[in-house]
Amino acid sequence: MLADSGIRAQITAPVRAAGSPRTVVAAFNTRKAVRSGVLWGSIFGIAIASSEVSYVKLYKTAVQRQALAATYGTSKAASALFGPAPQLQTVSGFTVFKISMTLMVLGAVWGLLTSTRLLRGEEDSGRWDLLLCGQTTRRGATAQVIVGLGVGLGTLWAVTAIITVLSGLQSSVRISAGASLYFSLTMVATAAMFLAVGALTSQLAATRRQAASFAAVFLGISYGIRLIADAGVGLHGLIWASPLGWVEELSPLTAPQPLAFLPIAAFTVAVGSLAVHLAGRRDVGASIVADRDRGGVHLGLLYGPSGLAIRLLRARVTGWWVAIGLSAFLYGFIAKSTGATVSGSVKEVFSKLGANGNGAAAVFGLCFLLEAILIGFVAAGQVTAVRSEESDGTLDNFLVRPVSRSTWLGGRLLVALVVLVLSGIFAGVLGWLGAASQHTGLSFTSLLEAGINLVPPAIVILGIGVLTFGIRPRATSIVVYTVLGWSLLIVIVGGFGTLGHWVLDTSVFHHMASAPGVPPNWEANGIMTAVGVAAALVGGLAVRRRDLQGA
Amino acid sequence: MSDTALRTEGLTKRFGDVVALDHLDLEVAQGEVVGYLGPNGAGKTTTIRLLLGLSRPTAGRAEIFGLDCQRKPVETHRRLAFVAGEANLWRSLTGAETLALLGRVHGQVDEAYRDELIERFDLDPTKKVRSYSKGNHQKVILIAALMVRPDLLILDEPTSGLDPLMEQAFRHCVQEARGRGQTVFLSSHMMSEVEALCDRVGILRDGKLVEMGTLAEMRHLSALTVEARFDGSIPDLSVVPGVSAVEADGSLVRCQVRGSIEPLVKVLAAAGVTELLSHEPSLEELFLAQYGEDGHAG
Ligand SMILES: Nc1ncnc2c1ncn2[C@@H]1O[C@H](COP(=O)(O)OP(=O)(O)OP(=O)(O)O)[C@@H](O)[C@H]1O
Ligand SMILES: [Mg+2]
Repeated sequence: MLADSGIRAQITAPVRAAGSPRTVVAAFNTRKAVRSGVLWGSIFGIAIASSEVSYVKLYKTAVQRQALAATYGTSKAASALFGPAPQLQTVSGFTVFKISMTLMVLGAVWGLLTSTRLLRGEEDSGRWDLLLCGQTTRRGATAQVIVGLGVGLGTLWAVTAIITVLSGLQSSVRISAGASLYFSLTMVATAAMFLAVGALTSQLAATRRQAASFAAVFLGISYGIRLIADAGVGLHGLIWASPLGWVEELSPLTAPQPLAFLPIAAFTVAVGSLAVHLAGRRDVGASIVADRDRGGVHLGLLYGPSGLAIRLLRARVTGWWVAIGLSAFLYGFIAKSTGATVSGSVKEVFSKLGANGNGAAAVFGLCFLLEAILIGFVAAGQVTAVRSEESDGTLDNFLVRPVSRSTWLGGRLLVALVVLVLSGIFAGVLGWLGAASQHTGLSFTSLLEAGINLVPPAIVILGIGVLTFGIRPRATSIVVYTVLGWSLLIVIVGGFGTLGHWVLDTSVFHHMASAPGVPPNWEANGIMTAVGVAAALVGGLAVRRRDLQGA
Repeated sequence: MSDTALRTEGLTKRFGDVVALDHLDLEVAQGEVVGYLGPNGAGKTTTIRLLLGLSRPTAGRAEIFGLDCQRKPVETHRRLAFVAGEANLWRSLTGAETLALLGRVHGQVDEAYRDELIERFDLDPTKKVRSYSKGNHQKVILIAALMVRPDLLILDEPTSGLDPLMEQAFRHCVQEARGRGQTVFLSSHMMSEVEALCDRVGILRDGKLVEMGTLAEMRHLSALTVEARFDGSIPDLSVVPGVSAVEADGSLVRCQVRGSIEPLVKVLAAAGVTELLSHEPSLEELFLAQYGEDGHAG
């Protein structure tokens, strides 16, 4: 069935192209972008709707809502992490607070991944050469992809909006259709900006991965700036220096300020046009940032598959470590001042968000959930890197020489494991450094433990990935990112008692104690590690017994 | 120690409904240079990936130097080197770094020979792999395979993308390897290359080995082309035993002979032949005859 329709699509595509040779690139990319927009739009919509529904179920009376707003609305921790929370006594205010920062970041990630995939990714694969033999120029093709991305963005918004409007119309929620439309528009604003950023970095960088990481660095800086701006240390003006800050200033549902769309639109158009302009000025396959074609002979690490993997992946892993370390430091830095406002009923809300304990430790517990997600991404990245060695054929170079599959995979997984453990240690140590710089009074060991506590969920993801790699290698990337995305979704919509325990249990992050707010659950960690290792072993056995499979 | 370098017994590989390789029985002695031919999709690459343990056979087995290819891949790979028709290298390494890495992974490298090969193939090893042309990629993996001086060289369309000068250099290297007693298993679409290098040739078609033997044996089975010019009247050659495909063009007659040519020579001499030309079929003609008659199967 599937294969059948795939073949049909391949056969019909050129026929359709023959009808309008000038827009074939746009049509081709629009289809891909729309598919992704529908998927992510549904996730956005469901996340918003579930937040609205869980609020009205959890805080039924006006008294409860007032109490929540009075104590929690002034929490600097909440403000730094999720943005300001001006109207927690309303469904709207709570929803914006609960969900908007997550969706803004996710939207940005969607934007940069989609545009770098359709621009730089297609170019890397050599498919652009084929397209450009047709009736289009480099600049024209880039512009057409951007049109396709725009349609994808429209789809993302439309799907998010439909679900949000429908959810708002429920009698208990009662948010007007107009307000819901505006809200969903603000939730895709970061996606628009980062589609453009991805288009630009696709021109600057030499590979898709590099393009995506340039854009991710920009996202990290934007997030960091607005985090400081909202941390209540008297630097709120900084909010205008961050694209994420502009979106925050749109203040959907609470105090709409549509003027903030101006910098957003100007930024998107300017960056997008610059990308099209640069695309016309370079060769296909070349980059603007000079890429050295010659090099001295550096034989360090070139001893075998594991050494080579360390050498080839170190830039990417270092990037993740910088993100993990920097955010942990920032969280540590704000933990004391923001944690001071965590008391009484705020504690109750915090515990529903997944953090327990007092003050700074509770803030850390919540922040470290975000670190766990980052480390989950590192694990997923390691598995997909293992699979891509096979799919791009470079693995053959080792396996036709005296290297067995077990030696190769074992070495690679050991590297992955060390990367994950070091990621956890980094989070703990840098979190402690940030906290110590403010004399927060949290002990080094408690934070180190909290850091190591982040590793087991990542080991589960690694294990599931290796298992898939063994039995269905071509599905590796889809499966690990689905497991990660699903776990993330449960974290976003869960935690309010509206989801059954068995649903929560399907999230790898649900089994992790929110240390240092509460002590790590070493028993659960042991079980997670054992599950991950067992899955990896089964996967490894399967790898030994199957054909090597290309892309 | 057996003196067979490579042996397969009933080696079979299916991909779903496609039988890519069908009960292949093959034997290559040590020191032999064997050509492996067949149209696109015949199963040549499939055979080689099974020999290398990269794929698992559906049935049958293969061994190299008496060791099972599936069960002892590491041991067999110590004694062989492989060149693929398409090099998949690490784009961010330079040529020199790639050669160093592959040499270390293999174990022992003849460094003087490696430098000589770099010279011969005119490769600039300081450049990054991503800036190499297709031919240069191929040179890197050729050098990486030759520099370890393996007992067995398995080559799958090794010269794809090489210019004629480099192809010449490649032939020289294979002849050198043969001189040193190395065994070579060469899959190729370049008939002249196989003709020039190989002691024996196997022809594969639809996963089955349809022909295997020395070039002389194969020629013997096929027809010899004869062209003759006459002064006077042209004799009727079609009645001569073994002769077929007679074409007359003025005073020139062209025909093909199978088996003994004695009857034809007698008839020609009696008829007063003034010019006589004969040539054996090239491998290319043999190959085309094998596939041309009833067309491609695939
Ligand atoms: N991984 C695979 N999955 C499905 N079918 C395959 C696979 N690999 C090869 N085949 C099929 O097996 C048959 C033999 O392919 P193979 O690559 O061995 O041919 P080949 O003789 O090397 O051809 P060429 O001269 O084009 O290189 C073909 O029909 C091919 O389509
Ligand atoms: Mg082949």
